[in-house]
Amino acid sequence: MCPPEHFGVLYEINPWMHTEVTVDLDKARAQWDGLVRVLRDAGATVDVMDPHPDLPDLVFTANAGIVNGAQFVPARFRHPQRQGETAYDVEWFSARGYQVDELPVDVRHEGAGDALPFGAGLISGYRFRSDAAAHAHVSRLTGAAVRSIELADERLYHLDLTLCPLDERRAIVAPLGWDRYGRRVMEAVVAEPLVLEDDEALAFVANSVVVGSRVVMPSCPPRVGRQLEAWGFEVAVVPVDEFLKAGGGCRCLTLALDVTL
Amino acid sequence: MAAVDVVEIEGHIIDSLTLAKVMDVILAAGADYRVVDVAIGRTNADVSRARIEITAADEDTLDALLAELKVHGANRTDSGDAQLADVERDGVLPPGFYSTTNLPTSVRIEGRWVDVENPEMDCAVVLRADGRARTYPMHRVRIGDRVVVGQDGVRVAPFERPRGASPFEFMTSEVSSEKPKALLVQDVAARITRAKAEGGKVLAVCGPAVIHTGAGPAVARLVGGGWVDVLFAGNGFAAHDIESNVMGTSLGVSLQGGLAADGGHANHLRVINEVRRYGSIEAAVDAGYVDGGVMFECVKRGVPFVLGGSVRDDGPLPDVYTNVVEAADAMRYLVTGVTVAIMLASTLHAIASGNLLPAGVETYCVDINPAVVTKLADRGSHQALGIVTDVGLFIAELADVLC
Repeated sequence: MCPPEHFGVLYEINPWMHTEVTVDLDKARAQWDGLVRVLRDAGATVDVMDPHPDLPDLVFTANAGIVNGAQFVPARFRHPQRQGETAYDVEWFSARGYQVDELPVDVRHEGAGDALPFGAGLISGYRFRSDAAAHAHVSRLTGAAVRSIELADERLYHLDLTLCPLDERRAIVAPLGWDRYGRRVMEAVVAEPLVLEDDEALAFVANSVVVGSRVVMPSCPPRVGRQLEAWGFEVAVVPVDEFLKAGGGCRCLTLALDVTL
Repeated sequence: MAAVDVVEIEGHIIDSLTLAKVMDVILAAGADYRVVDVAIGRTNADVSRARIEITAADEDTLDALLAELKVHGANRTDSGDAQLADVERDGVLPPGFYSTTNLPTSVRIEGRWVDVENPEMDCAVVLRADGRARTYPMHRVRIGDRVVVGQDGVRVAPFERPRGASPFEFMTSEVSSEKPKALLVQDVAARITRAKAEGGKVLAVCGPAVIHTGAGPAVARLVGGGWVDVLFAGNGFAAHDIESNVMGTSLGVSLQGGLAADGGHANHLRVINEVRRYGSIEAAVDAGYVDGGVMFECVKRGVPFVLGGSVRDDGPLPDVYTNVVEAADAMRYLVTGVTVAIMLASTLHAIASGNLLPAGVETYCVDINPAVVTKLADRGSHQALGIVTDVGLFIAELADVLC
């Protein structure tokens, strides 16, 4: 994770961002600290990278790249505003002994934000930020099967706003965000889906972090909470609304390092 | 002209339904596809790969579709520019020259697709100094001409049968004697009428059997009525046409009585001899020696004709091209603008004409012998529609409908 020292809505690259909205930095820091605390309570180890004054979105580490054991595939960001992050991400992972394997320069892929491990491989979103053409390269570099899902609603511009894998059979899903082919693929892949209503999806409910049996969520409608508890999960809601101003929730603020594809 | 391109897509395109989606997107855009090849990954981690050829109505539709497909990871396979080589000897093409089809063709020059003018089969493509590309038969190339070699950067639109109500529609086989002729006559007449209305030219290719079967006057009516713009034939057709008008016989047989005339076997020789005395068919017409028939109407109406010679010709008539290469060039010059061709009881001239015509020209081949149409199709004139019937009856009916 990366602390929100220099976080802010300084540009608009998704429908949630409005530069006239002011971020309360103290509140953001308190919310971020709260998220770290809840994750640690759940049993996670949190490594922190240094913030950078020119890179307000560096807090959204989910987009840094794809982690596969000791391999790191850095993102290729769509927008120039975020492309500067990659050098710092690569530096961080290199310093920790990761093997860095890069995607070709002519494709875009925004890391774990658009690639979630599920169903014996990766599910990867495309259209708004990542290119479908990147998926074959991701597959070649990681050795994992990559199923492509076309994202259909610009408000849900990354896959991790539409999908939260819970365990091998279950996932929180937001079909609102997928085209009809993507819906059919996900129906085949997710044995037991917890299907979000459209308004729930737009409240970033799927942008949650799962640590063991704890689901750390930016918000949780009672209906969703009941189903998660019925499945044996505990729900921890952490308000991160300062970050929602930039279009990111709990999941976007984290990058899982314990992933082996 | 239809636009064609090939896209390549790779990834877990089967599991992701991406391949199905790409095909659906192509059809939804009103375009068509052909899967060139698919390589399915063996293991879970292997990616699959597919190449898909897309045919759209025009370049704009294709470009819009390609942009849409790019989103799904399907990218145009880059064939690069066409390779060019210089001609080093007059009438000799560089080795590996691209041999043309009669289909609409374009070549990529410096990243831009240039349509090849005058599609004609078995030719080379020459890029001219003004940036235009056109077909050249082998014997016409000259030192320094730049000729396309290899297959790179060449794209050919697939053959499409004309759509809509037409003989093509109810003809499920290309050649058949078991079709209602009256209906075919009506349809061919409608096609000719429409072609003329659209400013196209009608080409008639005639064999001597047209005269032997008594169809000469009907063809003459068609020419006289302005329904024929170009005529290709041989020495025999013209000679017997003139013989029948001057002497009343065709190859010595009376067209009225059907009996061999006394000494009639020499009639056509005497006619040819007289036309040679005048110097040309036109001169014979002007002098009043020929006062009817197909050639007479051609001269009167100024319809251009090419009479191609052969080794068995008697005479020949002074208008006959005795150099076959020159004959083919003369025909090549006249086929520009032709949109409908009618081949009447002719084998050699029909095939020669078929070789020169772009695939888009509607070609009707009327012959009692289905072999002619088969020969035409075997030589690449797939657009030819065979009408197996007696040419005399067919043309008389056609003239009745049109004139």
